[in-house]
Amino acid sequence: MKKLNRRSFLKGGLAGGAAIAAVGTSKQALAGTHNFGGYPDSMGVLVDLTKCVGCRTCEAACNKEQNLPEPDKSFDDPSVFEERREGGLPRRTTEKAYTVVQKYDVPGREHPLFRKVQCNHCNEPACLTSCFVNAYKKTPEGAVIYDKTVCVGCRTCMVACPFYIPAYSYSSPTNPVIKKCIMCYDTRLKFGRPPACVEACPQEVMTFGKRKDLLKLAHQRISDKPDAYVDHVYGENEVGGTAWMYLSDVPFDKIGYDTHLGTQPIISYVKEFLGMVPMVLTIWPALFTGFHLLSNRKDAAKNEENKS
Amino acid sequence: MNSLKSQGFAPVVSDLKKDGSEWTVKEKIMLGLSPKEYWAVQLRNPFNWVLWAIYAIGVPILVGRFIFGLGWVTHSSYDYPWGLFLGWGLFTMVPLSASGFMMGTTVELFGRKDFKSIERLGLLNGLLGYLFAVVFLQVDLGQPWRLIYPMFVSLGPAAVLFLVAWHVATYLTCQVAELVPAFSEWMGFPKAKKFIKSIVLGLTIAGIILSTLHQGALGALFTYAPGKVHPLWYSSPFQWLHFFVSAVFAGLSMLIVVSTLTKWFMRWRCDENYLSNLSKLTLGLAKGASMALITYLVIKIIGIAHDNNWAYLLTGWGAWFMFEMVVGVILPLIFYTMAVRNSNASLARFAAILAVFGIALNRLNTALIAFNWQLYREIPHWRELVIVFTVYATYIVVYRAVLARMPILYTWKEKK
Amino acid sequence: MGGRKKTLLGMAALMLLTAPLAAQSWAAEGPGTVELGSLANYYSAVTFDHAMHTGVAASCAECHHHTTGLAPTDPNCARCHKAGDKANSVACKSCHSDKRFSAEDLAKIEGNPQLHHKGKLGLKGAYHQKCLGCHTAMGGPTGCQDCHTRNDKGDAIFHSGKYAPAPGASDGHGGGH
Repeated sequence: MKKLNRRSFLKGGLAGGAAIAAVGTSKQALAGTHNFGGYPDSMGVLVDLTKCVGCRTCEAACNKEQNLPEPDKSFDDPSVFEERREGGLPRRTTEKAYTVVQKYDVPGREHPLFRKVQCNHCNEPACLTSCFVNAYKKTPEGAVIYDKTVCVGCRTCMVACPFYIPAYSYSSPTNPVIKKCIMCYDTRLKFGRPPACVEACPQEVMTFGKRKDLLKLAHQRISDKPDAYVDHVYGENEVGGTAWMYLSDVPFDKIGYDTHLGTQPIISYVKEFLGMVPMVLTIWPALFTGFHLLSNRKDAAKNEENKS
Repeated sequence: MNSLKSQGFAPVVSDLKKDGSEWTVKEKIMLGLSPKEYWAVQLRNPFNWVLWAIYAIGVPILVGRFIFGLGWVTHSSYDYPWGLFLGWGLFTMVPLSASGFMMGTTVELFGRKDFKSIERLGLLNGLLGYLFAVVFLQVDLGQPWRLIYPMFVSLGPAAVLFLVAWHVATYLTCQVAELVPAFSEWMGFPKAKKFIKSIVLGLTIAGIILSTLHQGALGALFTYAPGKVHPLWYSSPFQWLHFFVSAVFAGLSMLIVVSTLTKWFMRWRCDENYLSNLSKLTLGLAKGASMALITYLVIKIIGIAHDNNWAYLLTGWGAWFMFEMVVGVILPLIFYTMAVRNSNASLARFAAILAVFGIALNRLNTALIAFNWQLYREIPHWRELVIVFTVYATYIVVYRAVLARMPILYTWKEKK
Repeated sequence: MGGRKKTLLGMAALMLLTAPLAAQSWAAEGPGTVELGSLANYYSAVTFDHAMHTGVAASCAECHHHTTGLAPTDPNCARCHKAGDKANSVACKSCHSDKRFSAEDLAKIEGNPQLHHKGKLGLKGAYHQKCLGCHTAMGGPTGCQDCHTRNDKGDAIFHSGKYAPAPGASDGHGGGH
């Protein structure tokens, strides 16, 4: 598990923050430049947006599979596509809906484009790396799951998620927790079955399989029909790669995707600080004790001058 | 109380009354007044009326927050998971409380004994700021009763917030210890003071380490959101440094502001030593703050240059950023420098107010206003605002109560 | 063409297991109507008017690719499959798995590195993409219940019909923004 070394290195460095124990991390630091590329046989889903007809069967299936509360409107009610949250934005994932379908009227496109939104299950998830109670876990099967029994409710994961996915059950006064898609890990993925939304989709918009195979498939589809797709598999490299990936015939930035996320996992932006922590822990005590001794020395010298 | 003193009232300054008998704890708590006098004074104070008004509205809403949940007092935003409780209560209160480690460093480490008369105010400002930052955090956390989970139940040591949690907790302990001498003098436990004196250097250095790291860590928390915070307020390599350096002048400026308030409103409690040194010390703090301000200005510019964000300066966001920099950094810098050059403490005090405003604006910009800059602006729920006022009012009440009693603004007269 | 007709008959028999009486009339090329019900879960089976569609489609290959022996219409398929490239069965389900993404299905793909059609659609995807794709292009009906009525189980999962949420049930909270 060489790939995990950087994380354990950071853990070592930061744990030192509590117990000034930065010793023994130098060896791992050499391996610290590696990125965690994801578990080799992890599963993923390839979403072909060109095929989605906006029937919202996936939403209905998700609601049932995850025992989510009754929706505000029926799942066959297309009026939800016109709903706008603050800022004129289309609806997003909530504590009551782990997946939502958005509709985009793209100029020049004969039909509206529908986009399914849910957790993308990053290879190196920002939510996971930002969680201070270690509630999140990236399973070897590819799902990003979380342990709601340890969630304190700081909501840093919501701040960290570049895709604005985790929702929070604000409405609960006694047990509010993070709510998000877990790729049906508990009930399906663990047993090798596809998530409920994938299975329910009449159009087979989503292809379930090993992430590495899906990547090949995605690029093959693009090369088979270069006119039918933009030459980009969203999620292949975004923020270090995600388990859910997307094909589209419309440039991704026109349909609500953030195309400026870069290819580095979010944690890499925090590294500069994390790397500095053990330095401060080791250098500061000596440095400031030195300052103290120096300023005392002046006093001592003054005292002696006064005496003579 | 100021008028009471002018009528000849002598506040508690030692264990013994004028007649040689000892003050009881109850009498000390009553400020040396009879209960009747004490309550009369409290009722006369118009500031207390304002506090009662805030509590009349705020306490029910604060209670409601724990009964009906966060959804009742906030807009339950998924896009803006952090609102004013953290934007103001944590991200602004903590830098404004950096005075604790600054004064500890100045007096105990660099041996600047001339700052001694304001050291305790600096330490108290630090302690209470952190304490109430934790209170704000407890209001904001979905499950505040799980606050100790990151410490003992389920550890996520690779997260920045883990570091913040541990460091704020240990630093709070550290600051309590640093204020034990004031408490022990007031209560008459000389042993505790002696013990703290023996470890004060260790405490101070621990304070510097912890402060450097958690002040920086609060900035580093936003490096998790590279696309969400506007580039002018974001810098992956320097965010922690920006937060740390700005905390230095924030803490010093807040100390100037608070000391000015004590000079005006709690003059009765200040002793001659404190009052006569205050202008000189204000200028000393001003000098330190101006150094931090110029450093901050330069590293902010480096931050923009590093990511080549110059073009953003010409946008509306750029204008807002420039406003923050001019009013919150450049003007205080100029005024502080002029104040030091002309020995004008009043100008330094004005500069301090600007700098405190500037730091609040910077933290609110980073956490709320320039956060999700590509989405929309979140206007906090009115109940959220009321709770912020209520908790902050409590901060002021506790602050004032401690200042009125413990030897912070005055020197305790030891028993001979 | 006798052999082909037999294959079609076989395929029809296969598809009509659930409704053996459905195929009554026969057009020149294939069954008159076909009851598509093997996947019926939230919806009733589809009574597919094959005869009508043979009249509309330019070629059997529009739907049957190369399996009926005609040249495939998709130029991408035509790179390999020529006219006369008949399959033993022309039934959709003989090639398109009705258990797509099941462990067996995935293992079958995984176990055959030479397999070209790795991303071959499952039966449900094949039906819907083919039907809806053409209906959209030709202006045919595209609503879910235009082809198959939703049953009670379907109403339940969609929270529709008698399972529809009461209007204004939302308390305004929890929706977030």
